[in-house]
Amino acid sequence: MRLKWNPIVKKDLQVTARSMRLSWGLFAYEAVLTMTFLMALSMIQRAGSSYYSTSNVYSRLIYLFPALCVAQVCIVALIVPIITASAISGEKERQTFDIMLTTCMSPFSIVLGKVMSAVLRILFFVAAGMPIMALAFVVGGLSWSYLLYFVLTIILLSLLSGSIGILCSALCRRSITAVILSYAFYFVVYILTFFPMVIRLFITQGDNGGESLLFLLFNPIIFYEEFFMQLMSGESLFGGEAFRFSLDEVGFVTYHLAHGKVWMFVSAGCIFLLSVLLLLAAAWKVNPMHSSSGRKRKKG
Amino acid sequence: MLYINNLTKNYGSFTAVNQLSLHIPAGDLFGFVGPNGAGKTTTIRIICGLLRASSGSVRIGGTTAAVGSKEMKRMIGYVPDFFGVYDNLRVREYMDMYGSMYGMYSRDIARLTDDLLQLVNLSDKKEVYVDTLSRGMKQRLCVARALLHNPSLLILDEPSSGLDPRARVEMKELLKNLHSMGKTIVISSHILSELSEMCNSIGIMNHGQLITAGRIEDIMQQLSGGKRIHIQVASGMENAVRIIKEQAGVRIESVRENEIVILFGGADEQISALIGYMLQNQVVLTGFYREEGSLESLFMQLTGGDAQ
Repeated sequence: MRLKWNPIVKKDLQVTARSMRLSWGLFAYEAVLTMTFLMALSMIQRAGSSYYSTSNVYSRLIYLFPALCVAQVCIVALIVPIITASAISGEKERQTFDIMLTTCMSPFSIVLGKVMSAVLRILFFVAAGMPIMALAFVVGGLSWSYLLYFVLTIILLSLLSGSIGILCSALCRRSITAVILSYAFYFVVYILTFFPMVIRLFITQGDNGGESLLFLLFNPIIFYEEFFMQLMSGESLFGGEAFRFSLDEVGFVTYHLAHGKVWMFVSAGCIFLLSVLLLLAAAWKVNPMHSSSGRKRKKG
Repeated sequence: MLYINNLTKNYGSFTAVNQLSLHIPAGDLFGFVGPNGAGKTTTIRIICGLLRASSGSVRIGGTTAAVGSKEMKRMIGYVPDFFGVYDNLRVREYMDMYGSMYGMYSRDIARLTDDLLQLVNLSDKKEVYVDTLSRGMKQRLCVARALLHNPSLLILDEPSSGLDPRARVEMKELLKNLHSMGKTIVISSHILSELSEMCNSIGIMNHGQLITAGRIEDIMQQLSGGKRIHIQVASGMENAVRIIKEQAGVRIESVRENEIVILFGGADEQISALIGYMLQNQVVLTGFYREEGSLESLFMQLTGGDAQ
């Protein structure tokens, strides 16, 4: 069997690797991570340097890991739409997209190639940030497998952010419009998924969120919160000792998912499914055979 | 080779292409002519699978593959009017990328790239970045790219637009060369003189409709009612006029001091017989030629003088 690269991934990586933007991007990424590390270190040292403090400052250094992870997650969530939102619209602006569509590549392969190249570019950044991440491990208390899990979640987040970007790119003719629309879409996924819960709590006067919490399965903020809780304390956000939510408060499904400690995995599945649906929608949109009327070109 | 049957494309209430039916035989170099907004580009985009037709069908060769299907795409090489470039991509890599998009193996792409770059006279530019090439070179590279998967049909949408005169000549020579190799080529162009030099058949479109299509000479003949022949006579003018009038299928258009212009609808053998008969009857001829009609005049006549 012959394993073939998606030609778009290959081209995008070739073009990106030769661009100065990659070097500057890596520099900025490393700088932000370093600053985060130094700030987190300083806060931890200050918190543990009280004269009467009984806790050892070294035990608190474990929190460097989530601090660096959150910084990386924020950077990835912010930059992936910028990369992918111009992926299709940029090809349209360059007038290379028509040629691409006349080749044997299916529209789905084209959008998948664009997202995969974005994910791979993010992995460049993640790999470049590894030495700084490794500093969180020098004091012990953390397993190296956590790093692997974190990289997997970054891939998932890149896939979701990339899919949002690529759909917006397919919908818009201009890259800048696509970037703006991507962030509007972010608002829907990151903020509006809280709305059913808020409305439910408002109706029940704060008694219970019920099944409205299931919308949060699609929310990357809650996913990461659950991920770090599981990683650092072994507890689930909705089923841990800290909050002690009852079945009525969080609803039947959430209660059992949280107590079975599978909320995070189900959430990962939901985010993956959402990403695939967004990719399919983007592929449908760019397929000229599905476009109802198209737009009249000015030429003959 | 290319069969288009009742092709129609509507944009809301506007009909860009209206019931277009056309057959382009294999090995033809076909020119699509028409004023702006005539529907040429729309037709080309439908053939290439870049636009969905409102109704009608397009077929290539003997296949029944649908427009936009992989099978159909494999049979078409498309050269758009504008060459978009990627920064930081070399000519070799550009060809490799598009070859891969057709599912070709890298070693085949490398071999074909060498041949095609030689064909389009860009062999020495293999390692050069695409965005540094001149517009004419980019357009030739685009032709090489379109030929990479060995399509049966090459479609060029205004390949000479924006090119300088030298690049135009090079492009024309390249297309003639491809035609001589037996490729079926469809070109949409505004440069009528160029088309008349290259194409052996044309289709004239106006307001979304195909006004006429076929061999250029046949269309000229149809429109003028026959071949226009100039006969220059040194002596025996009266005799010459009498002989011509006696011939069936020949109409005298004008008689000047030393020249008779006739319209002749018959075969070439008949005209040589007519000349021979004149010579036998003491008519001394000093010249004899068939008038070449211009595509420009034909186009203006058919489109009612619409400016291009």
